[in-house]
Order: sequence, then C-alpha cells, then structure tokens
Amino acid sequence: MKHDAAASSSPGIVPGIPNRRGEKGRGRWFIYLSLAPILLLFGVFAFIPIGWSLGLSVFKYNPLSASALFVGADNYIRMLGDSIFIKSLWVTFKFVVIAVAVNILITLMFAVAIQRIRTGWLRNLMRTVFFLPTIAPLAGTAIVWSTMFNYNHGLFNIVLTQFHMAPVQWLSDPHYALYSVILMTLWADIGYNIVLFIAGLDSIPDMYYEAAILDGASRWHSFWHVTLPLLRRTMLFVSVTTVVSYFQAFAQFQTMTKGEPFNETRVLALHIYEQAFSNSNMGYASAMATVFLIIILLVTLLQLKWGRTEWEY
Amino acid sequence: MSLRYFKIFSVFALICMVFLLFGCAKNDGSDASATTAGSAGKTKLVFWSHQEDAIMNAYKALIAKYQSLHPDIEIAYQTFPYDVYNQKLKASFSAKNPPDIAEMFGTWVPEYSKNGALVEIPGGEQLRQEYYEAPLGGYTLNGKLYGLPLEFNIENGGMLIHPQMLKDQGIASPPSTWDELVEDAKKLTVQDANGIKVKGFDFVSSDNITFTFLSLILQQNGKYWGDNDHVNFQTPEAQKAMTALTSLIATDKVADLTTFGGELDTSDYFFQGSSAMTYRGPWTIAAGLNTYKVKDFEYVPVPSFTANPPSYAAESGWGLVASKKGKHQEAAVDFIKFMSSDDNLLEWNQGTFTVPAKKAVAQNPDYVKANPYMKTPLDILELGQWIGPIADRDFFFKTINDHFQLMATGQESVESGLQQIEKTINDSQDQHK
Repeated sequence: MKHDAAASSSPGIVPGIPNRRGEKGRGRWFIYLSLAPILLLFGVFAFIPIGWSLGLSVFKYNPLSASALFVGADNYIRMLGDSIFIKSLWVTFKFVVIAVAVNILITLMFAVAIQRIRTGWLRNLMRTVFFLPTIAPLAGTAIVWSTMFNYNHGLFNIVLTQFHMAPVQWLSDPHYALYSVILMTLWADIGYNIVLFIAGLDSIPDMYYEAAILDGASRWHSFWHVTLPLLRRTMLFVSVTTVVSYFQAFAQFQTMTKGEPFNETRVLALHIYEQAFSNSNMGYASAMATVFLIIILLVTLLQLKWGRTEWEY
Repeated sequence: MSLRYFKIFSVFALICMVFLLFGCAKNDGSDASATTAGSAGKTKLVFWSHQEDAIMNAYKALIAKYQSLHPDIEIAYQTFPYDVYNQKLKASFSAKNPPDIAEMFGTWVPEYSKNGALVEIPGGEQLRQEYYEAPLGGYTLNGKLYGLPLEFNIENGGMLIHPQMLKDQGIASPPSTWDELVEDAKKLTVQDANGIKVKGFDFVSSDNITFTFLSLILQQNGKYWGDNDHVNFQTPEAQKAMTALTSLIATDKVADLTTFGGELDTSDYFFQGSSAMTYRGPWTIAAGLNTYKVKDFEYVPVPSFTANPPSYAAESGWGLVASKKGKHQEAAVDFIKFMSSDDNLLEWNQGTFTVPAKKAVAQNPDYVKANPYMKTPLDILELGQWIGPIADRDFFFKTINDHFQLMATGQESVESGLQQIEKTINDSQDQHK
C-alpha cells in the first residue's frame, strides 16, 4: 500500500528518472510470467481435475458407457450405508494416527541424536544414510519388503525361526497386516522428517541452551522446555505434511496387500482407486474423493489452528 | 482490483482449458494400438492378451500359422501382466483406443458388449450348438454372440488328492458322498501345537469358497438369482449350503483361514504336502507336473452335496473378442474364427492345459489321451451352468469371501452374513445398470 501511495503521488514522467508506474507494471508481468508455468501445471493437473471430480460425484458414470446419469446426492447417501467405505475410513485414520505419531517420535529422536554428533563427516554420513530410503521409489521398496515379509522364505520369519518362535503371516494375518505396512512406510519415509528436524534444531540459537545450563537445567529439561517449544514451527510443518502424505498413502497398500486381509489394510485412497478403475464406479469414487478432500482439509486446518505460533527468535 | 483479478483468473482458466483440450484431443490416425498399415502394405491387427507362458506360447504358434496362411495380414501381439490386464483393457476401451482383438475373461465381456464396444460374431445360432452352455454365457447378449471362448473355465467338480495320505489313514478310495468327504477330511487333518499342519479338505481360496457355495445351492436344485439381475441368498438351500461350508472350518476343522489371501495358491500348499485333498480347478495340474515335478497325486471327482448330480456354476473363461473401433473388423473376426476351429482349439487347449469349451474338442480322444488327468472334468462338462449376469466379478467373489470368513470365525451368523452378502452384491449390480 505504501508503494501505491508513493506511486500515485509521483509527479509523472521526469526525464532521467525511471517511470515507477511502468517499472511496477513490468515487475508485475515478470511475476505473472514466472508463476505461469507452475500455475498452468496446477490448473491442468490439479484444479481442473478437482472441479471435474466434484461434477462427476453427482453422476452415475461408467467410463465404458457413452452417457452419465444424474443422481444428485445419491452417491453421498450411499456412502453412509457402505460398510467397506466406513471400514476404509477407519483403517485410514488408524494408519495415519499410528504412523504419524511413531514417525514424529522416531525422527525427532534420530534428529536430536544426529545433531549432537560433533564430527562433521559422521554427521553428514548419518544424515545421508537415513535419507537414502526416501530416494527409492515406494512401489519398489514395497516389493522388497513383501519378500522380507514372505511367510516361507522371508527375512523376518527366518529370524523368528532362529529364535524358535512360530512364523507369522505378516501380510495376510488381520492382526499384523496393517502394522507390517506401517513398519515398511516408516522405514521408507523417515529420512525427510529427520532432515527437516535437524534443520529446525540447527536454527535454535545456542544462547537459550546456555541460559538453561546456567539455570541448572538437566538435558531432559532443556529438551522439554527449550528444544520442543522452539521447534514448534518445524513440528507444525512436519506434522501437516506427514499427515497429508499418509492420508494419501496408496502405493505400499496396492503393492503389498491390496487392502486384504478382511479389508484390514483397505485405506481410503485404495478404495477410491478400486471403485474408479476396477469397478468402473467413477461417480461414486468421485464422491468419496470429495469427502476425502474435505476430511484432509479439515484436519489440516485444525492442525494449523492448534500449531499456530506468534513469536520469533 | 477485483476486476483485474477476475480478468487474470479468466485468462488463466482459458489457457488451462486450451491445454486440457489439446492434451485430451482425440488423436485420429496415430493411435499406438489401433489398426494401422503394417509393413509392406499389410493389414496390421493389434492383439492383446494377459501374460502366462503356456498361453503366450500357444497364441504365438497359432499367430504364426495364421500369418503364413494370410500373408497380407500382420498380427502385432502384445501382452500384459494379469494384475493390470483388466484395467488396461478398461482404460483402452474407455479412451476409444482399444486393440483390434482382445483376449477377455468371459465374465468381463458383458460390460463391453452392452455398451456396444464389441463386434458381433456371425453365425451365432450354429456356434451355440457347438459349445457348452457355461463358457458361452458371458459372451452372449440378447441372443447374440460377442466373442468366442477358448476354454471351459471350471473350478468345480474335481479335486487334487494325495492317494498315499488316504491309504495311510485306511481310506481305500476317494469319497463318493459328501458325508464321506467330511469324514475322510477329518481323518486326514493333522494338527500340531501351532494349528492345522495338514488340511484334510482345503477349499479356502478366493475362487473356491464362492464356487463351492453356489454349487451346493445348485446341487439342492436351488437357485441363487432372483429378479432384475439380483441375487437371492435368503433361500433354505443357500442357508444350508453356507452352513455346511462354514462348518468345515468352525466345527469339523478340516481347513483354516491362515493361508487365505497369502502369496501362494491352495494348489501350491497341496503340492508342498500341506493338504490331503484340495478343491481346485484342473488348471492347477500343470503346476504340479511342471513346477513341483510331482506325480504322486490324482485329480478325482468331488461328490455331490445331495443325491442329485454334482451340478456346478462356472464362469465363461478366456476367449477372444473384436473391437468395434477396429478398422478391419472382418479380419479380426476371421482371426477369432480361425483360432476357434476344432484343430486350432485342440492345439490351444492341449498347450495351455485348459478344458475345451467346444464339444467337438472335448470329445476328441486325442485330447484326453494327451491329458489323462482331464478325464474327471470332461465327465461333468454337461453339468456346468453359467454363473449368471455378474456385473462386477471381483466384487462379487470378494463380498462372499469376506463374509464367509466372518461367518466361519463366528463373528457373524450365517443368516446375517447371507443378508449382508445379498444386499452388498445387489447394490453393486444396480450400480452397473
């Protein structure tokens, strides 16, 4: 606004002095031009599909059919009585809550431990080692883990047998299947958050720790009363991105369990995919996707509200 | 300001729409999989099938034979893993860019034929006389044929047995009644501290739970189809059939659910010696002979649930269809008819270890001579009934399998489970109308 006022009070074109209004206009066009590619990408591959999906959700539509039947809110009403949808919603929340909580706990612990390493090369090595799994494609990682979970020849059952324990149906026993996928997801995914937490920890000024030591604070007190509160912004970013990413988890479930056994690993993303592309219920799948979008939006808004900070250091 | 933003937004939306329209524009004449002029002016037909070594080899041999007889035609044969094949087909037909000839599982065909995506095969009346009823069901719509089956997909009527295991338990011959089957299965079951070590009678596979359930209904002279393409599982026959099935797990304890949904097929466990009798289709015999290299097994009839003949439900199996979008539909239909000639079908069925869908091939002595294990299924082909107008095959089977597990583990009563199955499947049927 200050710039606008200055521009409006400028005495027009003065020889030798650049025209501020023209400069500002060129600057704005530069911004539009710079943003255009990414906005175009989002527009074509995100906003328009979301709008299209919203429209489809009020139709009964099979892609093989030439026409679509308008059904109004029927697809949304159907969800209320769809036991598999309700189950998949429950499985999704269970997966997100457990996986995000364990992820944040583990990554924070590792980040604190790595940050305390004083030898530069060792610190970098540890950071690289933990980040490596995130480079591999998730579907490929899931295939490798499926072989490790194999009942007859898998690594985990070989280890159990060495300890004279009964082998476990890691991916086909309803009691273990979801936890097996969570384990794989954590292994594949913790690298990102470790790096983010290390960056957050590095940005906390040493003076706070020095003051805490002078006050006689123990390491635990320093962590609880200095590190955690000052990591709140990083924590908010990590938790929001991890929650959104885990809500959308798909590849590992599609590769490792396909939602089985007993729908115990049928997360909503997988259910939507199967309804759309296996069962050809595009309208119903779109309605579920809309509800899913709203749920993720609400959860994210709540996280932003609860995690808001008003200070800087 | 707001007007300026509106203008910017409008321009942006317009550009997005232009990109979208260009991106999604129909690409006539340059489709990767559409019929094109082949090398040296030949007519090129694109043919898709799923990947399975024996099946691919059988197709390749017959394609070479066809091309040598028709030098003006070139067939581009492309294969896809089974897991993605159905979706690949759906995507290609939805995008109006299908192959000229597609191998389809019979149960998938109605979704395409009722949407006008397939070419009618001429001479339907005559062909109907030449084939068994069950394999043709899926390819038939309003009395017209929209493809020809290559095999009789049979999962019922026969089971794999280990004769030595039966002998060790003093069982002289395979069971001839349902009661004998249950009693023998109990004797053959071996338990240890971790549960069942050797299953007496394993039927717990994603196919056989459903097929056995439907067959037990049919063997009581019952029906499971109601009006308007809805299933009806509230009949006494359905209750009795499901009670008998769940009892095998809950009461008789001749099988369990531990391996259901695992990586291996029930036939793999059989050939590894983890079950004495396993209810599975004859296609599994090839795995025993070729993969496990075992010969100490037999494929014998499964007795009827009642005194009636052992009727059973069967899906229409793998077959060939021609796309209506193809530019050389006549050539595509000609290839399908070539594949369906008696001699070529005999070669295909023998090479792929599948049961013939065509009567003349099934009755050809050369077929059973080459595949002696096939005698059991051949004897009951006439008893097979088409499974019916299932709109979504995977969903239908999964719904029954899921509730079967709940009923077998006591988490749901048989009555409530059947009600749930009926409601869920009928909802799905309605969604596909």
